Amino acid sequence: MIRTCLCITVLTFLVLNAVASLAAGSGYFGSTIQQGQEQTLEVKIDNFSFLPATLTVAAGTTVTWINRDDIPHTVVSSDDPRAFKSKALDTDDRFSFTFTKAGTYSYFCSIHPKMTGKVVVQ
Amino acid sequence: MQSPLYADVVLLLEVAIALGLLGGAWLARRHKFREHAWCQSVAVLLNLVLVAVVMVPSFREQVSPKIPAKLGKSYVGLPAAHGALGGIVELIALYILLAAGTKLLPERLRIRRYKLWMRTVLVAWWLVLLLGAATYVRWYVPLPFRH
Repeated sequence: MIRTCLCITVLTFLVLNAVASLAAGSGYFGSTIQQGQEQTLEVKIDNFSFLPATLTVAAGTTVTWINRDDIPHTVVSSDDPRAFKSKALDTDDRFSFTFTKAGTYSYFCSIHPKMTGKVVVQ
Repeated sequence: MQSPLYADVVLLLEVAIALGLLGGAWLARRHKFREHAWCQSVAVLLNLVLVAVVMVPSFREQVSPKIPAKLGKSYVGLPAAHGALGGIVELIALYILLAAGTKLLPERLRIRRYKLWMRTVLVAWWLVLLLGAATYVRWYVPLPFRH
């Protein structure tokens, strides 16, 4: 009887553990945690480039651009009307925007229009 | 190159204007004074349009808010020097046009040593052009030795 109870307990534990592992592996718990958290991600501006040029984030994420270049840059949404627009950022200045809706947000530097980047919000 | 189209166009036009002024000076040496007057007038007035339409708005938006706090930075100092010297040279050039090409100014305000004034302005004009070109490079050209 004791041996049977012990086996059932061990089996139950193993099954529950396996289910939890499978669920986490499929991204179920993972995506719940991501959506629940308010993340902040950074885009570095350096040598006339946005790094990374394309950033994929979850809805609700705040993206912060940091100008590490030694020349002013701006971060301006390409959308009409503009979703976001920074002032001219000097060296080490920051600009943040929280992406609440899914979609692809293209942006550029209004001083150097060939500098472009993209934020993909899922 | 990361420059917007208008900056490229303005730089090319300014080089053409400066070369035009040199050509106008050559015309004066050939004693073609009427052609000289037209050439220099067109150059000075075209520059005035570019300054008013492109350079002043750009300067007010990008540079003047950073003066005097960041005047020591080359991306502010260069355009500030270019703007200050360029403004003075353009005003003197306009004054020479008025004094030499019209009778609007009273006799006592006329220039007497034209050659000295004109040659000084021509040299200063090229210095302003060089400052403008340096500003263009500083703002729009990624330099390999920065990092």
